[in-house]
Amino acid sequence: MPPSPSVPPAERLLNLVIALVNTSVAMTKQQVRVGVAGYGDAPSTEAFERMFERDKDTLRSLGIPIVTVDAGGHSDEVGYRIDNDAYALPPVDLTPAELGVVALAAQLWSDKTLRTDISRAMTKLRAAGAGEAAGDAVAGITPRVRAAGDAYGPLLEAISERRVVSFRYRAANTGQEMTRHVEPWRIAARGGGWYFAGFDRDRQAPRVFRLSRITGRVRVTGAARAFEIPDVDVDAMLGERVGAERTAVLAVVPERAQAVRARAKEVVPVVGPSEHTGRTGRTDGRDVLEVPFRSRSAFADELAAYADAVVVLAPGDLRGEVLHRLRAAARLGEADRG
Amino acid sequence: MAERADDRLVRLLGLVAYLDGAGPVRLDELAGRFGVTARQVREDVDALWVSGTPGYMPDDLIDFDAYSLDEGLVHLTRARGMTRPLRLGTREAVALVAALRAMHASRPVQADPGRAAVVGSALAKLTAATGEAASAVDVRLAGDGDPEVLAAVSSALADARRLRIRYVNAADVASERDVDPVRLLTQDERTYLVAWCHRAAGRRTFRVDRILAARVLDERTESHDIDPDVDVTASVLADGGAGAPVATLVLASPARWVAEEVPAESVRDLPDGSFEVRLRVTNPAWLRRLLLSNAPDVRSVAPPEVAADVAAAARAGLAAYGEPARPAETADA
Repeated sequence: MPPSPSVPPAERLLNLVIALVNTSVAMTKQQVRVGVAGYGDAPSTEAFERMFERDKDTLRSLGIPIVTVDAGGHSDEVGYRIDNDAYALPPVDLTPAELGVVALAAQLWSDKTLRTDISRAMTKLRAAGAGEAAGDAVAGITPRVRAAGDAYGPLLEAISERRVVSFRYRAANTGQEMTRHVEPWRIAARGGGWYFAGFDRDRQAPRVFRLSRITGRVRVTGAARAFEIPDVDVDAMLGERVGAERTAVLAVVPERAQAVRARAKEVVPVVGPSEHTGRTGRTDGRDVLEVPFRSRSAFADELAAYADAVVVLAPGDLRGEVLHRLRAAARLGEADRG
Repeated sequence: MAERADDRLVRLLGLVAYLDGAGPVRLDELAGRFGVTARQVREDVDALWVSGTPGYMPDDLIDFDAYSLDEGLVHLTRARGMTRPLRLGTREAVALVAALRAMHASRPVQADPGRAAVVGSALAKLTAATGEAASAVDVRLAGDGDPEVLAAVSSALADARRLRIRYVNAADVASERDVDPVRLLTQDERTYLVAWCHRAAGRRTFRVDRILAARVLDERTESHDIDPDVDVTASVLADGGAGAPVATLVLASPARWVAEEVPAESVRDLPDGSFEVRLRVTNPAWLRRLLLSNAPDVRSVAPPEVAADVAAAARAGLAAYGEPARPAETADA
């Protein structure tokens, strides 16, 4: 039965896989073009070459590597084959509850690319015979991470192949756009933002970049295996864990700043008018709270938002940060500032 | 939209690997397993039926038992060597393992030892099957919320029981309410409880770090016709919808996260690196907090009433600190 013309791409790929798995040694390109259903559609040698190269890339990205072998004999052409062992999934014996967890994890990504990747993974796991999913163990829980955007795909490819990326990047402190050349190490999502850490070749130092500040496309350039990926502590690079836990002393109006109160270690209710007044500000009629914090600027953001309901008594640097915000806000009512 | 060729290929190969040695399997069961319609499975079978090795003579082709198929049973009789399930590609392994790691480390999972154990064992099995490539992506979910509150919410969800919570809203007003929990949603940096609120007689979304206390009641939850799939950020900020007033802020570059994380009507970059963002504001308390927190990076605010409101709050704050000193309020100093 000769293959009918205009074979759909999925079926052409399927026939290529079956042919290259079953071939005794290897198939040359010419044998593929003549023999495998779908490739006869190519109107020219160039069109066939493009089609075949694209199909090889598609299969590799699906975890089905095509290997090249010396066809031997009288031909100096290379041959192609697929080794069964190279693509087989080792047995994954998931219990129904575990499969339920995996199905839930599949909902984590809001990102279209990541959703495609994970639903394909689910198809493969199901084909490997995993049983029915049971969702009881994780009932009611819905984790979700916002979309990473277009940079994710090329960055992941560059990390896997250890190739350099270049892209236009808008700096946070100046707003200026510059082209950056980076050896990417790891992609990370923290606190609602996507980042990647790597070695910045222009600045000759490790840097963290925020994906949403990348303007335009990320280009994967240069040779593969161009660098080694070190052990990366993304959190240290982002500065989140920098600085130990400290304790703030706050004077809070009764019944106010409840979300801050919930984290307090110690609450001394309603201080009398004579005890803490003076330079540090009003404490009369207020509760004095001891609240642990790590990030000074994040905590200052939160406390400034309470305006007069919270007064920072200590430490001085946190108090200064809050005052800086309040002074700036007090000037907002005046004319626009340049 | 037409299905992508690579997605379909994965399913075609998956069907053969699954059916090999499985005997006859019902069409609708296959459809359920692979998450597609029965009609799609039938089309897949038709495609497989004409696929095989070059030559494409009857013995070269993948084959099914035609009589079984007439009865809605798919029975593979020749697999042409395609019997091994596909391993996970790098991208697939990354997407799966990063998601499981993030879930495993999240508070709602860690709040329940049984739950943490199941997620942990699924993660261990998949990590073993996928290798180390998966460490290229590292995702951490919200770390907020009182463990006792999370434990109470988790057990109420698991046992379908009503909760009594003490909740403080964005305007810093605390209240007590009975809610029927629907879902614990961890989205990016925060965890939210989606629930039916008996006081409001409607669906409400509560930030878990603002639940001051939670107690599981004896009452069972009632079933409510509500959509648990909610865009939290939008619902917290924009409950009022399109009729709400618009505020226009010009912010310096360091406050760019506002444009990135708040659903804005529009964002416009200005030549000096600052940017203008237009927000539809239904919750004035939320906007006041945003502006107080980020005042040093705020270049301008419109309409002027909003600016005046924030400035008044800030002056009251400065007065509480005793600077600028208001003699009347620090009489004993």
